[in-house]
Amino acid sequence: MNILLRSWSAYTRATARWPGLAALVPFIPVIALWVAVTESGMFPRAFLPGPVEVVKAFFSLTYRGILPDYLQDSLVRLFTGAALGMAIGIPLGILIGTSKWAHRVSWPILLFFQAIGDIAWLPILLIWFGFGLTTMTFVIVYTVLFPVVLNTVLGVESVPRDLARAARSLGASPARVLWEVTLPGALPNIITGLRNGLGYGWRALIAVEMIVGTSGIGFMMFDARRSGSVVEILLGMIILGLLWYIVDAWILAPIERATGQRWGLVTS
Amino acid sequence: MKTLELRNLKKTYFDPYAGSHVTAVHDVSLEVQQGDFVSVVGPSGCGKTTILNMVAGFIPHSGGEILLNGKAINGPGPERGVVFQSFALFPWKTVLDNVGFGPKMRGVPKAERDRIAHEYLALAGLSHAASRYPNELSGGMQQRVGVVRALANHPEVLLMDEPFASVDAQTRMTLQEELTRIWQERRPTVIFITHDVAEAVFLANRVVVLSKGRVLDQIEVALPRPRVWDDLIEDETFKRLSAQVLHMVRSA
Amino acid sequence: MPHDIDAARPPRWLASAGGAAMFVAPLLALVLIWAIAVPLFGINPRVFPSVAAVGGAAMESIRDGTLIEHIGASLLRVGLGTLIGVVTAVPLGIAMGVSPAVSTFLTPLFRFFSVLAGIAWIPIATLWFGYGFGAIIFVIFNAVFFVVTYNTLLGVSTIPMPLRNAAASLGAGRWALLTEVLLPGALPNIVTGIRTGLGFAWRGLIAAEMIATNVGLGYMLFVARDFYRTEVIILGMIVIGAIWLLIDRLLLVPLERSTIERWGMVRRA
Repeated sequence: MNILLRSWSAYTRATARWPGLAALVPFIPVIALWVAVTESGMFPRAFLPGPVEVVKAFFSLTYRGILPDYLQDSLVRLFTGAALGMAIGIPLGILIGTSKWAHRVSWPILLFFQAIGDIAWLPILLIWFGFGLTTMTFVIVYTVLFPVVLNTVLGVESVPRDLARAARSLGASPARVLWEVTLPGALPNIITGLRNGLGYGWRALIAVEMIVGTSGIGFMMFDARRSGSVVEILLGMIILGLLWYIVDAWILAPIERATGQRWGLVTS
Repeated sequence: MKTLELRNLKKTYFDPYAGSHVTAVHDVSLEVQQGDFVSVVGPSGCGKTTILNMVAGFIPHSGGEILLNGKAINGPGPERGVVFQSFALFPWKTVLDNVGFGPKMRGVPKAERDRIAHEYLALAGLSHAASRYPNELSGGMQQRVGVVRALANHPEVLLMDEPFASVDAQTRMTLQEELTRIWQERRPTVIFITHDVAEAVFLANRVVVLSKGRVLDQIEVALPRPRVWDDLIEDETFKRLSAQVLHMVRSA
Repeated sequence: MPHDIDAARPPRWLASAGGAAMFVAPLLALVLIWAIAVPLFGINPRVFPSVAAVGGAAMESIRDGTLIEHIGASLLRVGLGTLIGVVTAVPLGIAMGVSPAVSTFLTPLFRFFSVLAGIAWIPIATLWFGYGFGAIIFVIFNAVFFVVTYNTLLGVSTIPMPLRNAAASLGAGRWALLTEVLLPGALPNIVTGIRTGLGFAWRGLIAAEMIATNVGLGYMLFVARDFYRTEVIILGMIVIGAIWLLIDRLLLVPLERSTIERWGMVRRA
């Protein structure tokens, strides 16, 4: 009991000093379990390789330059798509959010097109644009766009009217009100939208790379599936998980918290 | 007859960040008679809420004894009703179901516990709000529900943890008057934790002043009942007692 | 605080019966534009079909039963996978969330796996279960499972301590604590989790059906592409959109709203 308490105390103190530790330590038992399962021979190696083989594959693929190339391809696609999606989504959302009428007309259409979902567009996109970058970018932009638009609209509408009135009566022009009041007021929602959008967009990218890709992490995994190489599938999954975990937990979530909680717009 | 007895109560807890033990309550002894109303007052950090949490059984004590009718307590239990500072009403239950929660836990059938709940809601003047949800009520109304929810379970001791600290000043006075009225009607045994000296004197038969985890002094309040603010605010005895307690708390 | 509740819900007019007409009107207008634009600009049916062609494809596929078959296959998979996911995730999430130390420790783990949930499992699922029903159910199951577990865990661990204490001091035992406090307290998060998880699952389903099966809406779309049958593709997209909209707006959103708003609980991300 005392030892348990003391080690828990040490863990609490360590994670308070290095928060990254709290994100890493819980994986130790999982990896241990993984080793135990693979070593026990419960499943054939071809079905479930151990961590050592995955690490070996990582170094081998990195050494041959395949992994860095694929990773770069995937990331470039994702961030190009996300940037385009935001560039279209935020102005559109503000436009819709500032007019009650525009909101009523466009809301059902937005919801419907969001409901169709990125991947369902793939067949017709292949007919229109063929296999290639245009198709992939379209899907990512599409996926990122809707959460950003919908959340921007909600964000714009959640800005208290008195704030805009206060700014106007302090001498701000309508354009300045947009820049000084509406945009920052909607920012927490915009970030939430971006976070959701990237979450979906990133999944869409994997799907697209599997189905039409010639490079990228999704392609690597599906190619490995075709040749029956489970090691590369697992490696791909781990990379995807780590990557998104880093982006989401260490970049997006803190930004969301920083804007929302700092300003007291989000209660918890 | 003694209902509740604290003997040399002590609480130390482990601080995982500091890696050491911290003492919140050093040595507290206290006796509460059946039907008595005791206020516990002290500056923040004096350990008053810790004591209440130990009596309620939410946290274990590290030393000494807590006896209820001569028996040591063991964990939380329905014989010790608690009224929380944060109200702690179940947001997913109507006011009626909140008040009927204790009887439900005792296995009282639905019709009977609704009757009990209605009776207690009437006591607090809340009959009209029975079917509403907690978040649809004002803070003052929510805490009225909190009080009658605890009472409807017929506890032997009612433990109140700064229950009126988060309602506005006007409502607080009304709630205090209502509490003294309900206490006179039902005569529950009450331990009332507060940092508000006037509130402590207004409500109680006895005020316990706490400082740094120890009992500093106990002061009998022999004011006549029923007590209402309009009378007491000018009352010399009330003023003198309040001043006395205030000096003690501030010099503590 | 009232503000972010407002922000979280769609506009109120949607709720009323007249709102339904308001909701459909813009969509009908869109169909009208489509009906006019295709003949007006002489668009090649191999690029974009006319309204009539899509209607014809709908009639035909309803008559020969293929549309119902595809919809049925997709819904069965989503329903079954989601059911298994929720039934296993909620108890697990509650069990882990009860202890603050355990939930703090495990949160990053479930966050990691909920990030992977869905599509990324398709390759390994098809390897383990072969192409077909089992692999798709597995993909949907884990899209729901990890997200719901994570949200349940979060929901239970954010129930204020005084609520648990209140129940205990009113005489609640372990079972009553579970059914009266932990489950309803975590419900808003559970519903949010189901909504998110189902969103991933639905997309995962379409992707998996394109890759790994020979029936279902995703398969229907992907096969139509081989024959340049754009009217079937558009029909499939409309059906996919309509089904998700119905599930989300008529089932999940009202469920979320009835708990979060009625109880005055703010959703916690």
